Amino acid sequence: MTLSRATAPTGSGRLDVVTLRLGQDALAIRAEVLREVLEPVAVTRVPGASEFCAGLVNVRGTIVPLADLRVPLDMPREELGPDARILVLDLPLAGRPAVVGIVADAVHEVTRIEREALQDVPAVGTRWPPQFVEAVAELGGGIVMLPDLPAIFDVHLAGLAGSRHNASGPAPKAEPKPD
Amino acid sequence: MSRRILVVDDSPSIRRMIALTLKGAGYEVVEAGDGQDALERVGTGSFDAILTDQNMPRMDGLTFIQEFRKRPDGQATPIVVLSTENEGGLKDSAKAAGATGWMTKPFDQAKLLSVMSRVVGA
Amino acid sequence: MDEETLAIFQAEADSLVESLEAGLLALQDRPGDRALIDQVFRDLHTLKGTGGMFGFTELAGFVHGFESAFESLRSGASLATPSLVAVSLKAHDHIVALLAGEAPQGAETLLAELAAAVSGAVGPDAEPKQDLWEEDLPVLNAPSMAAPPVPPPTQPMPAAAEPVTPQAHPAAPSVQAAAVAAQPATPVARSEGVSAPAGGLIRIAASRLDEMMDRVGELVIAEARLAEIAAQSGLPALVSVTEDIQRLATGMRDAAMSIRMTPLSSITGRFRRLVHDLSAQLGKPIDLAIVGEETELDKTVVEQLAEPLMHLIRNAADHGFEDAETRVRLSKPATGRLTLTARHSGTEVLIELADDGKGLDAARIRAKAIERGLLAPNAEIAPADLLRLIFAPGFSTAEKLTEVSGRGVGMDVVRRTVTDLRGRIDLSSEPGQGTRVTLRLPLTLAIIDGLLVEVGGERFIIPLAAVEEIVELADRTAGSEGSSRLLNIRGRLVPYQALRDLLATPGDPGPFQKVVIVTAGESRMGLVVDRIIGSNQTVIKQLSPLHSGLKTFSGATILGDGSVALILEISGFSVPAKIAFPTESRRAEVPA
Repeated sequence: MTLSRATAPTGSGRLDVVTLRLGQDALAIRAEVLREVLEPVAVTRVPGASEFCAGLVNVRGTIVPLADLRVPLDMPREELGPDARILVLDLPLAGRPAVVGIVADAVHEVTRIEREALQDVPAVGTRWPPQFVEAVAELGGGIVMLPDLPAIFDVHLAGLAGSRHNASGPAPKAEPKPD
Repeated sequence: MSRRILVVDDSPSIRRMIALTLKGAGYEVVEAGDGQDALERVGTGSFDAILTDQNMPRMDGLTFIQEFRKRPDGQATPIVVLSTENEGGLKDSAKAAGATGWMTKPFDQAKLLSVMSRVVGA
Repeated sequence: MDEETLAIFQAEADSLVESLEAGLLALQDRPGDRALIDQVFRDLHTLKGTGGMFGFTELAGFVHGFESAFESLRSGASLATPSLVAVSLKAHDHIVALLAGEAPQGAETLLAELAAAVSGAVGPDAEPKQDLWEEDLPVLNAPSMAAPPVPPPTQPMPAAAEPVTPQAHPAAPSVQAAAVAAQPATPVARSEGVSAPAGGLIRIAASRLDEMMDRVGELVIAEARLAEIAAQSGLPALVSVTEDIQRLATGMRDAAMSIRMTPLSSITGRFRRLVHDLSAQLGKPIDLAIVGEETELDKTVVEQLAEPLMHLIRNAADHGFEDAETRVRLSKPATGRLTLTARHSGTEVLIELADDGKGLDAARIRAKAIERGLLAPNAEIAPADLLRLIFAPGFSTAEKLTEVSGRGVGMDVVRRTVTDLRGRIDLSSEPGQGTRVTLRLPLTLAIIDGLLVEVGGERFIIPLAAVEEIVELADRTAGSEGSSRLLNIRGRLVPYQALRDLLATPGDPGPFQKVVIVTAGESRMGLVVDRIIGSNQTVIKQLSPLHSGLKTFSGATILGDGSVALILEISGFSVPAKIAFPTESRRAEVPA
């Protein structure tokens, strides 16, 4: 289901995407994974969580983790403006269907990109880690980037598992003398 | 008015099978899980016949029959004892206790209904 | 015969067979116990009767022979010897196979062995049948049951079948467990369950139960929001109705929760059987004592624990216990003692398996770990951590593959099963004295009573079951010991930490901090918070894989105002390990 990291999707036809602005960049996400777009809501901080995914939001009774793509994509993180939105997406996590939210500075529109217009990310000249970019395309006079969401989340989860493994089991508890 | 039968057996599946068969043939069925339970049920009204197992916890079939027969209204109701064939001597005791008849397990539905109709005089 | 009736028979037969096995095992310890003998006999008798009625003719015939052997026990002509029990257990297994629809061989041999094991001749029942009233019938097969010449009793059936899921196969283990669990297999309990009115048992698809739990959860959340609006409205009538709804929702929640809770006794039967068989197989007498088997856990947790616990028992029997001769030479009782203990502790269930065998050989573990590349040759490692290497994948200390416990590769699977249940496993050992394995499992209740606290403007839930008391911080501090700060609670010292430190909360605390004293496993500690807001019903929502690895939180919930609050996992806070706790009485003189 995950496309190979370095290659843009091939084949003909169009891809329905929703475009958004994150920092200085224009991103596009497949419309089929988009559940809804929310105005900013109260975010609960998760102490001890990584910067990538440090918050939780309530989406109509479901607790949804909130991720910041600027972390893996190596983008500067400034305060989100008044047009900021949360995109609620259907994405598998650890092989199971899940719902996650991502922040955006603004959401533009749902539009179509021709598959032929999708290209691999150039090897040099961009700051985004190439393994997290599915493709780039020209759109509306500018460049739009499709992040490889499965890759971003998989790598992050693998990293979490690794660090858990290194912790040597439960910390030994001091046994209090019996009362 | 339909005939009322009391079925006493500690096996839920056997009770169920008997109840389904009898209800399907138009009888009204009341179930009890052992002799004690059965004694409580007979207080609720009269029955046209009683079908009882022998081997049950708390109070077995024969004891129940003896207690039932002691009741002022406990003479007329026909009682059929159900049991497996390994209890030859039990039949004498059952008769002595006041049982009307005896049916060996396993039995099939046809036999059950035929016995019932003979007993209640349908 | 309709499926529902057949399913009821299956459940009944399973219960009988379980009771039979338990009775036989108990008979070994109390061979003269009349009540036990009668119970075994009754189980056999019912199995024969019902089996015959439902078409299990081979079963009925076999049990008849089994019964005959036990007749002489009933009459007192023979005693239950260990060899009789052993053969009886084999006969029990034969019955289980027949009930499962298999075609096991060896019925004749088994019956002959049974007869031989019973001292004194057991003649066939030679009493002539004096029918008061002849009803001797040929033994019949199921087909004739299914096609009665009389109006089929379908009328009452659909009505009764409506409310429950007609689970097509009675073999669905989770459903059967629900049905059987409602009737615990102890003899006394079984007769109580049996004399209940017909229809006392209901089979429910586990998924329907989960659905209901979800609905109850949502009800609780909605009710909390209602309560908040009601409070804000200030309308007495509204507040009063809301309180009623709250009470009803709590009642529903408790009822729903209790349906899922199952006592450990639902799986301990097989442990007893296992120990019995292992004893015989290994030639080592072993006694299994179980304490607290009425302790309840969520049904899925209990089911998943069965295999790991069986494995731990096998390990103890195979590798832990010395043989009888050696034990006697070491001045130990010849019979090895294995104790399984289960109890609730705060929000956890503690299950312990302890043996009085030879303990773990630290030197051999170390050597093996080095050989397996799990430990550097001259590495220093704490003794407790060395023992924990047993749980590492690929580790094995068995010198030879034994048929019983294999290569010991199961320990990493045991640990993984426990951690998948969000539990923890640990072990300790004394060379020459024995080994103890401890499992700690959270009570995975979906809805709990929570204490809502505030730290730095953020709100968190502490499970109320873990809370012992709440005290003011200001007047209780009692200095520190090592890296731990201590509170004086009525003369006893309790270590405490500030939640804002643990949670890296920004800002400064207010002046009137409170300390929530909680139980964590076997220790007690205090957590300092800014404010106690109150208690509420908390619906636990699982954290996504992105956060489920955090040891500090067991889940999250939605509060009455719609915001998300994290639920603290108390056992995820460890008390700093380097403290040497003085006995509390010695320190009572420390001025508060």
